[in-house]
This record gives sequence, structure tokens and C-alpha cells, in this order.
Amino acid sequence: MKKALTMALAVGMAVAAMSSAAFAEEGEFNVRACIASEPETLDPNLESSVDGATYAMHLFEGLMKYVPTEDAAALDGDDKVDLLVTDFGQAESYDVSDDGLTYTFHLRDDIIWSDGEPVTAADFEYSWKRIVDPANAADYGYLLGGIVENATAIQNGEADPDTLGITAVDDKTLEIKLEAECPYFMGICAFAALMPLRQDIIEEYGIEWTNPGNMVSNGAYVLSDWVHDSYLEMTRNDSYYDADAVGPDKITWYLNNSETSQLAAFQAGEYDFFDAVPVDQIASLQEQGIAHAAPQVGTYYLYLSADQIPDWRVRAAISLAIDRENIVENVTQGGQTPATGITAAGITNSADEEWTETYGDFTTMALQEMYPDYDLETYSGRCELAQALLEEAVADGYDTSATIDYEYNTNEAHKAIGEAVQSDVASVLGLDITLNNSEWQTYTNNLGEGKFGMARLGWIADYDDASTYIELFTNGNSYNYGNWVNDEYTDLVAQAKALPGGEERDALLVEAEQMMFGEGGFPVAPIYFYVQQYCINDGIKHAAWTPLGYFLFTYAEAAE
Amino acid sequence: MEMLLYTLRRIGISIMTLLLVAAITFFLMNAIPGSPFMTEKSTPEQIALANAKYGLDKPVIVQFGNYLKNLIKGDMGVSLKMQEGTAVTKILFSQGKFTLSIKLGLLALLVAVLIGVPVGVIQAYYRGGWADNVLRVVTTLGIAMPSFVVATLMLFEFAVALGWLPVQSNSLETFSSYVMPVLTLALNPMCRIAKLTRTSMLDSISQDYIRTARAKGLKTKVILFKHALRNSLIPVITYLGPLTAGIITGALVVEQIYHIPGLGNYFVTSILNRDYPIIMGTTLLLAALIIFMNFIVDIAYKLVDPRINIIKKGN
Repeated sequence: MKKALTMALAVGMAVAAMSSAAFAEEGEFNVRACIASEPETLDPNLESSVDGATYAMHLFEGLMKYVPTEDAAALDGDDKVDLLVTDFGQAESYDVSDDGLTYTFHLRDDIIWSDGEPVTAADFEYSWKRIVDPANAADYGYLLGGIVENATAIQNGEADPDTLGITAVDDKTLEIKLEAECPYFMGICAFAALMPLRQDIIEEYGIEWTNPGNMVSNGAYVLSDWVHDSYLEMTRNDSYYDADAVGPDKITWYLNNSETSQLAAFQAGEYDFFDAVPVDQIASLQEQGIAHAAPQVGTYYLYLSADQIPDWRVRAAISLAIDRENIVENVTQGGQTPATGITAAGITNSADEEWTETYGDFTTMALQEMYPDYDLETYSGRCELAQALLEEAVADGYDTSATIDYEYNTNEAHKAIGEAVQSDVASVLGLDITLNNSEWQTYTNNLGEGKFGMARLGWIADYDDASTYIELFTNGNSYNYGNWVNDEYTDLVAQAKALPGGEERDALLVEAEQMMFGEGGFPVAPIYFYVQQYCINDGIKHAAWTPLGYFLFTYAEAAE
Repeated sequence: MEMLLYTLRRIGISIMTLLLVAAITFFLMNAIPGSPFMTEKSTPEQIALANAKYGLDKPVIVQFGNYLKNLIKGDMGVSLKMQEGTAVTKILFSQGKFTLSIKLGLLALLVAVLIGVPVGVIQAYYRGGWADNVLRVVTTLGIAMPSFVVATLMLFEFAVALGWLPVQSNSLETFSSYVMPVLTLALNPMCRIAKLTRTSMLDSISQDYIRTARAKGLKTKVILFKHALRNSLIPVITYLGPLTAGIITGALVVEQIYHIPGLGNYFVTSILNRDYPIIMGTTLLLAALIIFMNFIVDIAYKLVDPRINIIKKGN
């Protein structure tokens, strides 16, 4: 009933006016967007959500920042949203020591806070030490672990936060010492959680420092209003050094968690942008040119429990039997691409080449070598091998009578994917899968306790490096929910992480990912690579998007 | 004096009820799996750190004792998830959430009664006629349709297609922003009240005292509105107690769809987020509201029919 209604709503609204003005007040260029409901916090150090990071990227600026290119971000070539890349932000240059372990950043001379105080290296030092301090229990406290000197020891309570390898040499010089060379360190320096913060402001106002009027920021916008659970309002920061390049005079972020309401608000001209397109509307809205999809660095995958499905051949058979093309074309229908490995599309290697395009389909690579008689490029060939693998396992005593529990968090899209997998596995292998759903908290608890045969999860990359995915499945990793144990794999990943960016490191990570889908492997069955849907007012151009998951309106302009 | 004693007794019972609600809610919410600090990327170590920061690492019974101690001092704790660190009392009261929900709920209640009762009277008055038949269909439909369906249809028709009303009601600052949320929330109870009124009016009409009134030659309208309606209102008043709870649960959906930053929307989110202090705060507040409304209903019985003795058992 609900689905039918929202369908009727969307079809009806498709004929409604699409060109409602984004510009509420004359002479001003204002943007009204909705990307989430109320954020947990606007404190950059303490936030961990995409929306929180997006707000932080409009209000603050780190050593590095994201700037738009002329490339369109969307798959369909929608020219209203540009692709973002990293560039210098508050830093104007940096030097790296010969051993690659010490970065010295030189800050710009013209950077000032919204209250007129100059931005100093000490503001960065304070922020970075604050995020790793376990007393603050920041979700991203682990981010600098293994990268910046002493970060892990501080997080574990074994060292004082003051011992973090970051020092303000003088007001404009910041020195950062790394534990190992980090090929994605520049991406880390643009990360929203690592924005500079004002110690005096935080100490003066405590938890309320993020309130309008209290917050002092150094980015393109200042927080001018915040009606909780209703909207956030940001206005241009005239103190910002690059204020001339800033587009919208005001950005109003509506805090709404109802997809139906967001779509209606967009169609009624109350929003210029939203990105929670109802799943059952995506295909029709894309057909009508209302919704667009931009690739996002994320993988949707299924854990295959090594405890409950101990024979790797059965896990491999399940992975092979899943018709990923069918799922993206007929189930998700949002422009996703079938996954070819755990590392998401969009991740690059040290030569800046796209990982999945460069190395091919990891899910069949090792199997193809082991079983050259099967054509694993076709679904029918994969099904044949899947059946053969299952037969081998059965011949060795594997009991196929047991039902496999497939867990997912309550959501129509996850359910539909589960049903497609259930159908594929039953028809190709004759194995029974029972679908069980629970709400998010219960679900993650079950994952942690290993109460599943199969379970879904998605992983959006925080930075552009394959290790962000590959290390999830090392022995003892808290995300290795399927309890897959492989010492060789764990050693390979450790070796790779200790190396600076380069071919040798790439080769180790590739070897590890191949091993994950080879003999003894298949802790997961990757399903698809993410895309982000969005709807944007025709009256706006040069909004921007980074495949790491953030939309930016800082450089948006009113279309002619 | 009797009334005063009765009121004091009710207050005492109410406090006991609230304590019971607090205990049941506290232990139940701690029994369900999950953590307010669980995110897609949080590690067990980080969750442990956050638990320690907010005292969630202590035994549940100790936590409950601490909660009660603080509650007596008027401290309902701080939010663990939504607006992390902000005092629950500030979120519920200073940010206007409670006021918004109360405003919305009371208006819906008022609309439901002011329209529902006359509709029921009209139906009874024209029993079996076309007006009664049409209204019977309408009220049945109003009861059968879930509020999210009504809300979505109204949103499509009046906000998107016709553009008469705003999609987002936000903080209910304009008259137009009240229309859809209040009507959506009022529709179901309004139809129930109409049906109740009709049935009980018809029941009253067949009573001896009405027959006497007729025999005395009173006009039908006087009989209906002066004699029958007054007695017919007793079941309606009885319904107003549970209706308060109904309006509150209805507000969860209405506030979400019309984007109103009220208590209902927050309550649902707090449960999904395992934001324990917010769950406790909203539950206790809503429980207190329902207890209070039931008390008001009891008083209203007396006003409508002085023969009813709410103090002693029986009539």
C-alpha cells in the first residue's frame, strides 16, 4: 500500500513544476538542501557520519580541501554536479623529509577565523590531539592509528595525547611525524574530522561551542542558525580567504528523515537538492531525468560465515551462484555496478590507476586458474563451477540439508537483494536460505556475535587506498564478522601497510585480495559497487561531489 | 475535602505508576541488544571508551539507581547520540519539542471532538437517511485508513499538486503549516468519536427519560441536544483518555511526514539509536501526560453527570 502510494505520488509529481526558484530572496543565491536528519554533532572531531562531515566541510577547512574539476560526477553526465579532487586548503605547501616520515606544512598567511583571529598551526595541533585522546571517545579516534606517530598508543591509553607526532613549530608551520609512509596521507589531511579547532572557544563554551553564535569556523561558511530537527543555516564567511570563489550566499540544510517527505518537498520546490531518493522510485525518476547517480567508493557485500559454512568450496559456490548483473539491473536498479572484488570501484593504486579496472575480477581470478575448463566470464559458466565445487564438498562429507541463515537489517532494498540471492542459491545449488531481518542495533549485535550464516554489510571508503577494504578481513579485525582466519593473508596485509606507496605495496595488496577469493577463502561475496542517487534543481550548477561520499555546494552557482 | 484527598491519592498513585514505568522501561531498553555508540565503523574499543565516558559500563541496577537519584534532582541525564552531551530536559523543553507536540496534539483533539460529536449527532438525528449513510461510509474510511496513507495523500494533493499548503510544517509558525498535520492526526479519532456519539445517542434516545420528554411535548432538537447528548457524551469522554495515547502514537508518523521537530519523531529515533536517557525522558513525559489526561477525564465525568461518584467505588 505504502509502495503504491509513493509510486502514485512520484508519478503525479513528475508533472509538477521542476524549475522552482532556488533563490528565496531577491539578489541572493540561496541553496536549500537535505542530506540527512538531525546530525549527532557539528563538532568535526566527534562526528562520524557523512552528513556531519559534509557540514564540517562547509564550515571548516583542513590542511587540504576538496575543489571541483570540470568533470561531471554523475554516470549519466548530469552537468550540474562536478567531481571533486583534493587541493591545498589552509596549507599552501608542504615538505617531506627524505625518509618520507616527516611532513612540514606551511600555512597560508591570509587565513583567519570567523571572529577575526588568525588560524595558526596550534589550532591543527589541538584538533588532532583532541581526536586521538581516548577521553573524548571520538568515533574517528582510530583514524590516525598506524599513521601518525603514537596515535595508536594514545588511543589505547598507553601514551599521553601530547606525545602525538604533531607539533606547531611556529604560527604558520606544522610538523607531522608518521610511523610509516602513508600513500593516502594527503586524503587524510582533507578529512572532515581533522579540521583545525579553536581551543579557547571549545573550553569557553564546552558542549555548546557548536551552537550558532558560539561556533567560530575557518571555512567558506559560518553557522548562522540551527533549529534542532528542523534545519541548519549557513551563511557566507566574509573572513574566508577565498570568499570570491564561494557561490551560495546561504545554504539551508533541512534535517529530515522521511524519504517521502523529502521527495515531495523537492517536487513542490521547497528543496533544491536531496539525496535520499526512495528506492522504489529510483528507476522511474532516473528515466524521467529527475534523479541522477554518481559513483561512490563503496562495496555492498555478504559475509559468509567461516564458522557456519566451514568449507570454502561451499562459500565459493554461493558467491559464484549469485547473479550480480541481475541484482543491479532488476533489483537495485539505481546504476550500481556488479562487484568484482571487495575493493570498491574508484579506489586507485599507486600509479593512480583505477583498482578494479587494472586488476580485473578478483572474485573469479584465482578460481579461473584453478579450474581453467570453466568459463567464469559468463554466469552460466560460474554456475557450472559452483555446482562442481558443491559436489566436491558434498563428496567430502559436507551436509547440505542445513538451512543457511541470511541476516539483514530491516530495509526493503536489503530484503529484495536477499530474496534474489536466496532464489539464485536455491536454483543453482539447491541450498536453502532463510531470510531474517532485525533493526540496525540488534542486527549489528548479531553480527558481532557471529549469529549468521550469511549477512549483508556495506563499506564506504574513508580514503583512497585498497587497504581500507582489504585489512577488514585480517585475523581478529573487529569487522571480520565471518571469523575467517588466514595467517598468510594477515601477514601480507601487514607487510603492505608497512610499505610506502608503490608497485611493491600494490602487488602485496593485489595478492591478498586474490587470496581472499582463492582456495580456503571467500569470507565474503561482494555484490555491487555503490552509487549515490540525488535530485538537484535545474537552477543550480557546479555543485560538487567526491566519490568518498560528500556533496559540496561551496562553489555552486545559479544556472543562467 | 473529599476531592482534595482523592486528588492527593491520585497523585500518589501516579508517582508510583511513573516509577514503575521508569523501572520497566529502563530494564527493558537495557535488555535489548545494541549500543548508542554503535555505528557502521565503530570498533568494540571505541564503544567501550564511550560507555565508560557516560557510565554505561556499570551494572544496569547501579545505572538505574543513579538515574533515579538524578531524576529526583530534576536531572534526566544527557543525550548520548542525538545532540550528544546536551541535557535531556533542554532537548525536550527548551528546544520546544514538547510544546510543539502538545500544541499539535491538543489542536487535533479539539478538532476531533468539535467535528466528531456534531457529526455523530447528525448521524443519529438522520438515522437511516442519506446523510447518515454517507457519513457512515466516510467515518468508516477515516478509521480504516492508516495515518501515513492520509498524510501521504494530503501531501500529494494539497502541497505538491495544488501547492496550497507547505510540504514541511517545520515549527508550525504559520496557519497553513497546521492544516495538514492537525487534520491527519484528528481524522481517525474524529471518526471514532462520531461513531461513538451516534451509537450512544441512539441508545439514549430509546431510554425512558427521552420517552418522557417526548410525552411532555418537547421539541426533538431540545430532546436531542439538551437531554440525549449530555448522556451520550459519557462514552466519548471515556474514550478521550486512551485517545491521548492514540494521538501521541499518531504524532510519530505525522511529525515525520510533515517534518515537524516534535517529541514524537524524536521518540522513535531515540529508540532506534538506543539513546537511553532520551528514551527514558520521553517515555516518562508521555506517561505523565497520559496519567494526567486520565485524571482530567475522571473530573470531566463529574462535570457531565454529577451523579457519577469518582471518589468512591461504584455509583
